[in-house]
Amino acid sequence: MIEFYQVTKRYPGGQLGLDDVSLQIPKGELVFLTGPSGAGKTTFLKLIYREEMASEGYILVNGRNVSNLPERKVPYLRRTIGVVFQSFRLIPRKTVFENVSYLPRVLGLDAKQQRKVAYDTLRRVGLAHRMNAFPMQLSGGEQQRVAIARALINRPDILLADEPTGNLDPELSEEILRLFLEINLEGTTVIFATHDRGLIRRVGRRVLTLEDAKLRRDEHLPGEMVPPAPRRRSEPEAPPDASPEMESAGLSEPVDADPIGAGA
Amino acid sequence: MTFLQALLYFTREASVNLIRGWKVSLLAILTITLSLFLTGSFFLVSSNLSQLTKTWRGESKVVVYFAPGTDSAARDRVRGEIAAAAWSGEVSEVSPEQAATRFRSAFPSLEDLLEGWGDEPLPASLEIQVDWSTVDGEAMRADLETLRTDPVVDMVDDDRDWLAQLETAVLLLRGLALVLGGVLLLTAVFTIASIIRLTAYLYHDEIAVQRLVGATEFFIRGPFYIEGLLQGLLGGTLAAASLALGHWLALRRGDGLLVSVLLERFLVPSQLLLLVTLGGLAGLFGAVASLRKESLGRTAEVPDGGWEEEV
Repeated sequence: MIEFYQVTKRYPGGQLGLDDVSLQIPKGELVFLTGPSGAGKTTFLKLIYREEMASEGYILVNGRNVSNLPERKVPYLRRTIGVVFQSFRLIPRKTVFENVSYLPRVLGLDAKQQRKVAYDTLRRVGLAHRMNAFPMQLSGGEQQRVAIARALINRPDILLADEPTGNLDPELSEEILRLFLEINLEGTTVIFATHDRGLIRRVGRRVLTLEDAKLRRDEHLPGEMVPPAPRRRSEPEAPPDASPEMESAGLSEPVDADPIGAGA
Repeated sequence: MTFLQALLYFTREASVNLIRGWKVSLLAILTITLSLFLTGSFFLVSSNLSQLTKTWRGESKVVVYFAPGTDSAARDRVRGEIAAAAWSGEVSEVSPEQAATRFRSAFPSLEDLLEGWGDEPLPASLEIQVDWSTVDGEAMRADLETLRTDPVVDMVDDDRDWLAQLETAVLLLRGLALVLGGVLLLTAVFTIASIIRLTAYLYHDEIAVQRLVGATEFFIRGPFYIEGLLQGLLGGTLAAASLALGHWLALRRGDGLLVSVLLERFLVPSQLLLLVTLGGLAGLFGAVASLRKESLGRTAEVPDGGWEEEV
């Protein structure tokens, strides 16, 4: 659950990033955040993962007031929130595996567990076979899926996406959108910032419209797209025997599932 | 992540950084090496001089030279007065003949100088060992001043005078070593700080991602601290090794009194360890000083144009 109570963000110089916004986003919901450039979409997301602090009002994320969260606790908040950007923000000199496995490394998982977790997550976005590739060797859509895998690796409660399809063509955009829908169907709260009204119309759902830093509309729109079926929980995460895919990823034998644990 | 795991990770990352940016790392290491080598050299010379001063002070004596033609009665009187003084140890008389024999033996090439000065080219003297356990500096000085006014005494030579000058020189040398070493070490700290800051800038995309996924400051800064520490330790080790090599070469190739006197003893292991530790601390300090929060940047500082344009 994400709650905003009369939140205002004023940047140095007096520019308003967000102006008196109040709303609630229940757990498991997919919300579109839209509006023209400079309307406050990015500020809205940054306030949630505490990249910025609210000037006024307060924000609750899963019941925790992030507005007054001590700096040293911010990393622990961020481990429960995945963030995806328009520009992917992958490290070019690192492989897909290395890009994705930052958090498992921070959490102290050994190399084998890191590979297992990264493999499972990349498999979820359909890129397990590209684990050892470098970002520059991937298409835009693949790079964005790697970025999504990085955001998902700790099974976050919340996934924030800031114009994730902004750099992609319509076909790839839809592919990425479907991925977000799948993730949402598995119970993750998703906030999807986009100024692409066509994309929103395809899916429907709740739409928050920001203009001039103010929340102008909070509405539910019907969609045209048939939502993807949720993956069954009983579906095995990895084949019982080492597949060629796993072997190429450096995994010769199955490892205990869920070594990180949901939500950390 | 346990502390040990973190330390291993930091060391691995720091080593990768050192290798990737080996040119700038080498610059930092050599700066530390140079500063510690010079400091160590000064310290080595001053230690030897200090040790030598101590030895000489232990062996120092007062020599009372009699005026030419002083008779034995007067010499005995003076000897009796000296023997009664509390600071006086063994007193031995050196006749003019003994003095001439000593001179010829010590300076055979200067033997000619003694020719043409009559029967007593060198005066008779009294050599007094000083009992340092009972010496009262002021009383001794007063006694020597009285002796200097005695009509049969031509000159009183007190070793302590030039030993004091030597000790002052050793102190000056140490002071110079401290100042020079301090300045050079400060330069090394600044060099390391700049290099770590540069490395942090080069890796700011990675740091931003680490922050984004929830890495703690400890995890983010750790590799940089270890990198500074490693640079310092490497610089310190190189300085210690260079000193040892320089000392060995100087003793092997150098000849003369100066080399054997100034470089007789090498630094003891604890002093070498101190040198290496000093290097490590300088490196660590440089890293800590360079990684203030603002220098690492924040998660959102990377423009939407992507990392490739920035790095």
